[in-house]
Amino acid sequence: MLDAEIIQSRRGGFTRRKFIKGVIAAGATASAAGYLFRSSGVLAPMLSAQGAVERLVTLNVNGQQRRVDVPKHETLAMTLRYQLGLTGTKLGCDRAECGACTVLLDGVTHYGCSILTHTVRGREVTTIEGLEDDGVLHPVQQAVIDEGGFQCAFCAPGFVMSMVGMLDKNPAPTREEAAVLLSGNLCRCGDYDKILNTAMRAAELSRSRA
Amino acid sequence: MEFLRRALNPWGEDVPIGVSWDLIWAAVIIGAVFVVVHALMVPKKVATGEIDESEAKGLPEKLQRHTVGARGFHWSMSATMFALLITAFFPVIGIQFPWVTIHWIAGVLLILTVIYHIYHVFAKQDFWTMWIDRRDVEEGKLGLKAALGQSDAERPRAGKYPVDQKMFHHVAMIATLGAVVTGILMMFRIDNFLLPMNTYMFSDATWGWIYVIHGVCGIGLIFLVIAHVYFAIRPEKRWMTWSMINGWIDRDRYLENHDPARWTVDGSSQRAEAEGD
Amino acid sequence: MAVIRDMIAPFELYQPAGVDDAVRLMDQYGDEGWVLAGGLDTFDWFKDRIKRPAAVIDLAAVDEIRGIAEGGDGGLDIGAMTSLTAVAEHADVQSRYPLLAEAAGLVATPQIRNQGTLGGNIVQDTRCWYYRSGWPCYRAGGNICYASTRRAMNREHCIMGADRCVAVNPSDTAPALVALDAEMVVASSSGERTYAAADFFIGPDIDIERMTVLEPGDLLTRIVLPAPREGARWYFEKIRDRKSWDFSLVTVASMLQVQGGVIQDARVVVNSIAPYPVRMGAVEAAIRGREPSEETGQMAGEIAVEGARALRHNDYKIALTRNLVKRSIRDAA
Ligand SMILES: Cc1cc2nc3c(=O)[nH]c(=O)nc-3n(C[C@H](O)[C@H](O)[C@H](O)COP(=O)(O)OP(=O)(O)OC[C@H]3O[C@@H](n4cnc5c(N)ncnc54)[C@H](O)[C@@H]3O)c2cc1C
Ligand code: HEM
Ligand code: HEM
Ligand code: SF4
Ligand code: FES
Ligand code: FES
Repeated sequence: MLDAEIIQSRRGGFTRRKFIKGVIAAGATASAAGYLFRSSGVLAPMLSAQGAVERLVTLNVNGQQRRVDVPKHETLAMTLRYQLGLTGTKLGCDRAECGACTVLLDGVTHYGCSILTHTVRGREVTTIEGLEDDGVLHPVQQAVIDEGGFQCAFCAPGFVMSMVGMLDKNPAPTREEAAVLLSGNLCRCGDYDKILNTAMRAAELSRSRA
Repeated sequence: MEFLRRALNPWGEDVPIGVSWDLIWAAVIIGAVFVVVHALMVPKKVATGEIDESEAKGLPEKLQRHTVGARGFHWSMSATMFALLITAFFPVIGIQFPWVTIHWIAGVLLILTVIYHIYHVFAKQDFWTMWIDRRDVEEGKLGLKAALGQSDAERPRAGKYPVDQKMFHHVAMIATLGAVVTGILMMFRIDNFLLPMNTYMFSDATWGWIYVIHGVCGIGLIFLVIAHVYFAIRPEKRWMTWSMINGWIDRDRYLENHDPARWTVDGSSQRAEAEGD
Repeated sequence: MAVIRDMIAPFELYQPAGVDDAVRLMDQYGDEGWVLAGGLDTFDWFKDRIKRPAAVIDLAAVDEIRGIAEGGDGGLDIGAMTSLTAVAEHADVQSRYPLLAEAAGLVATPQIRNQGTLGGNIVQDTRCWYYRSGWPCYRAGGNICYASTRRAMNREHCIMGADRCVAVNPSDTAPALVALDAEMVVASSSGERTYAAADFFIGPDIDIERMTVLEPGDLLTRIVLPAPREGARWYFEKIRDRKSWDFSLVTVASMLQVQGGVIQDARVVVNSIAPYPVRMGAVEAAIRGREPSEETGQMAGEIAVEGARALRHNDYKIALTRNLVKRSIRDAA
């Protein structure tokens, strides 16, 4: 920690009105209403300040250019699911704590629930819907079918995207390496063994296809 | 400008958590305005310099005003008060340092000092010298009129303390005791070796008001200390300030400003002590 | 009643293209503005609607502070916006500063490391759940600590450095950077300032509402690593409940400069035991001139926990700290 005994801060002067909101007020009613009226513009800040981003953006999703009106505070998973209809991307926790929302940005895995849509402008977004190519399943998708990899499969889209990202980084992982590379996804059914079987099979398949 | 800092507690109740720090600046500004206005407006009291020689009979040159104990109390209180004000408010205005421990230790020293003072006042000194009586009220009225230029009647001589000083004492006493009582309670909120931590001793709202009172008293003391120091360094009051350092005042000052009937200094018995200082 | 905590409250969003623009915007909004890097510390606050800035300044387009470059004097210069993955996998970081590569690679999960930035990881706020739940505690500007009462759940809280607030610094990279003598470069409208990593973090005794020296308007731009020391040995160990995702319970980062079998100089830093990464000065002084042996480690461990005080549920952290410091000296390689 700081060795200096005294530090000068820019604090001081007259303070703004300070009211600390407790947990209750932060809760339900306001947010629920906010969600319902989300795209009608009522929640947009009153003044559109100069230099601020425009709401209307073009996103590159699964190789397509999609024009969409995105509130500034919307996360990518919300835009994908509720504006673009790409409901393959799941929302489990909405807290970067489960991996169900995993998507690829320029080929790299990210949690869609924890990034603003506006932040990904200009980047290539890939969701589970974008994996198959002209009716040919991606090796990872094929591996899921071959291994019967999931139980309820709510976690599957996230895991699949993580496996795609993994193979890009390490086309021939050991089982342990795969476990580490997939450690950002949770499975509530606890089906990890079969999921790792799937990952190993996917690696094999993709090597044989290449 | 807000007067309170408020918060919603985990149960959704809107509770105060402290006084608004804007009031610090208000106290400083009011203090500065008071000082400037007083310095410009209040005409210097022209001391008549006349004293009744007959009263001077038998009185030594130097008369004791404050005993060593009283002076010790005053300066100890002053030191702890400055420590408390600095530790409390500097961090808020941006000069940050680890303040809480110094603050509460200074607080404990202040409490010991005040306890000593209260004991001393009742046991050794005359409690009534600080009491505001009817003559003080008269004196105050005349003084006010003179200050406003509505009267040139001479202000009667005071007892040991003029009425303005008595009023100051009582306001400072209330503010200090307010900070002391709430400060002791606040010790239960922090980790210290004197009192056990008991955060939930009171409801959030009660705690909030305790913090508010502590803050209001503290901020009040900013103003009081500014005013007090200003008077202490004014040229015509400096003899009083000196007496808080060396203990005595000279005979002429005594007779000029104090009514021997209201404040009797027994010269013969105190002469040796006063000169010994 | 279920509390819905998913919709972020609206804000104005800016995506400046350079540090100057970012700083200007940050200045303009002061404490109503929020700097957004990877957002992994940020979005919880927003979703819970506990922090509701008027404007968010997204640094995604500020490319000048992303990436790793050769620094002066044989060191490295890491932009604050560099992702943790990029730090962990960079060849130079791995070969010259394995301590940092390891620390960055142990943060949370692959996805979080892909998106989370080194700057954000250093500046991140504490994870005390009373505070993160929006309770009006000291750190939120209130006058109470909910985590140090007799019935509080404080298994993850601190064993030293407390002053009313008993929260810990959660960052994995922070102790590594302190051990490496890194410097933090901060830009603001009044110019550029540089802090030694150890001075970058502040405790609640000095300011109970912030974890670092940064104030509204301050942008961390670069992290500067000095050239690695001659004959340096490293040790990094992070203890957590699960091997993925979880924040550290105790983390140790050590650097020992050993010559002729004797420790010439050392940095021993422990995080998640105090509101700031603790540089163990007394340990460093005591082990200088000794061999990095079991005995030296044992002694170092004892010194490290001198004065440590457990809360109700975290006395295990004292034992952990003692043992990790011991290992970090005995097993440094
Ligand atoms: C589920 C989960 C698990 C996690 N586990 C760990 C873990 O094990 N170890 C660990 O260390 N962390 C962990 N984290 C925290 C996360 O990794 C870090 O918070 C992340 O590195 C932060 O980086 P960011 O870029 O996403 O930060 P952001 O959220 O963008 O920023 C964090 C804070 O820093 C400020 N900030 C960011 N960049 C700058 C800058 N350049 N200048 C000034 N201020 C800036 C922001 O305003 C914000 O207050 C975890 C987070 C989550 C959600
Ligand atoms: C119940 C509490 C108090 C009582 C009854 C009390 C009473 C008195 C009395 C009677 C005197 C005059 C002593 C004399 O000269 O004979 C005095 C003096 C004084 N008091 Fe207090 N007081 C109290 C609290 C305080 C407090 C809290 C302060 C601090 C702000 C304070 C500050 C002073 C000072 C500076 C003097 C002048 C120095 C002296 O003569 O001792 N008093 N008080
Ligand atoms: C008389 C001069 C004093 C002044 C000007 C003063 C001022 C202050 C102020 C401004 C605060 C901050 C309160 C807040 O955050 O709302 C504070 C806190 C505190 N004071 Fe004092 N105080 C004084 C005396 C005392 C005394 C006598 C004690 C008791 C020993 C004391 C103990 C404390 C404690 C324990 C805190 C709490 C710290 C915290 O909870 O953050 N103070 N004081
Ligand atoms: S430990 Fe700190 S952050 Fe947590 S409740 Fe206490 S004051 Fe707040
Ligand atoms: S929904 Fe994004 S990680 Fe759980
Ligand atoms: S299969 Fe059910 S959550 Fe993974």
